[in-house]
Amino acid sequence: MTVIMEEKFDYTKAIAELEEIAAKVENPETKLDEIDALVLRSKELLKGCREYLRGVKDKLDSLDQE
Amino acid sequence: MGTDMATDYMDLLELQQRIKEGIEDAFPGRIWVKAEISQWSPRANGHCYLSLSESRDGRVVAEVRAMIWKWNYLQLKTFFEEAAGQPLQAGITVLVRVEVSYSELYGISLFIDDIDPAFTLGEAALERKRTIERLTAGGYMDMQKELALPPLPRRLAVITSRTAAGYGDFRRHLLENEAGYAFELDLYEALMQGESAPASIVSALQQARERGGYDAVLILRGGGSELDLACFDDYDLAVSIATCPLPVVTAIGHDRDVHVADMVASRSVKTPTALADLFLDAFMEEDMRLDTLESRITMAVMRRYQTLEGILDRALYRLRFAVESRLGKEEALLKVKEALIGASDPRKILSLGYVLVTGSDNKVLKSARGARVGERIGVRFSDGAVRARVEEVSEGQEISRLRSK
Repeated sequence: MTVIMEEKFDYTKAIAELEEIAAKVENPETKLDEIDALVLRSKELLKGCREYLRGVKDKLDSLDQE
Repeated sequence: MGTDMATDYMDLLELQQRIKEGIEDAFPGRIWVKAEISQWSPRANGHCYLSLSESRDGRVVAEVRAMIWKWNYLQLKTFFEEAAGQPLQAGITVLVRVEVSYSELYGISLFIDDIDPAFTLGEAALERKRTIERLTAGGYMDMQKELALPPLPRRLAVITSRTAAGYGDFRRHLLENEAGYAFELDLYEALMQGESAPASIVSALQQARERGGYDAVLILRGGGSELDLACFDDYDLAVSIATCPLPVVTAIGHDRDVHVADMVASRSVKTPTALADLFLDAFMEEDMRLDTLESRITMAVMRRYQTLEGILDRALYRLRFAVESRLGKEEALLKVKEALIGASDPRKILSLGYVLVTGSDNKVLKSARGARVGERIGVRFSDGAVRARVEEVSEGQEISRLRSK
């Protein structure tokens, strides 16, 4: 039997936040010290998203071995 | 019945012989007959025994035994299947050329010696057309079209035969992708060919629906006989696909034509590899989106720092220029002062040819009026001094006179 796991990571939300960060960083009004924090957060989100596309592979592989 | 014994009778054999004669007189040559094959049993001896029937409103209204002699059987079967693209088997409607034969022992039987594949093709096409019309009338054709695949279809129910070569290809291609995208596959086994296939697929679909939680259901034929695809034109199967609340993607894989199952499904592709690509592409697109976002952010930050650096550079340049020009000014000022100072040095003046005159009291004589005739005075040059006596004192225009000398 397969148990379908619910991921905690909300990919759609993460993408929306990344879009927002990109827009903020591109905005010349944004302060430099703010940008550092935004860049850090974007790295975190990108890592999460990339892991979401791949990360849970090991767990999933076992599902089909009946 | 009377008690008197009838004297006018015939033997059974004679009766059968007369029937045989009657039938064979009525059908002296071969005739073409349209019928459905209701039973089909090739035998080990090489002959093929079958039943031909006709149904109306779901009831059999005519039936007869038939056979194909072994010297005709293989040739006829091959010819039909190559031309019609489907197996010669029970359930199909055929147009066959028969010889009506009557045996005193076994009764009537049709000997088949020819078959018209074009007729069966036409029948199948007609049947398919009727199915499509029924589905259209029922509103089933576009039901699945409203179900879009989610942007990241990851949990997939696969309906196929475990042994199908195509299933292995699909699994490998999908799960062993280089990027390492993750998928969940659940296999729902079903018969993918033959008469029982539609019911088997419908039942697998039902199981997948009941389990739930899938992003899509895939129907993958993945191999087997290319002749046996009529099951994918089945009405009940089409309805079951159309009414599935999950998007159904078919990969029946036959380039000759599109099946009704393909038509009602949300999407359809030809090959197992194309099926895997459909899902891999969705993930790849997302990955590219992430790359784009990343480079947008990186570029923006770089631009910001470049601008900042520019501002700093310009500020530094102006500062340096200001300092330098300030320094230059000071230097010039110093030079002027130096020049001024230098100019007021009496020695410098003396070197130009002027002299310093002191009176007998050793004070500087600043005017002719201050000198008396006979007074001893000192005249100082830059390189020394002379003593002298005043002989005459005259006032005014002395300079011009001196110059005119």
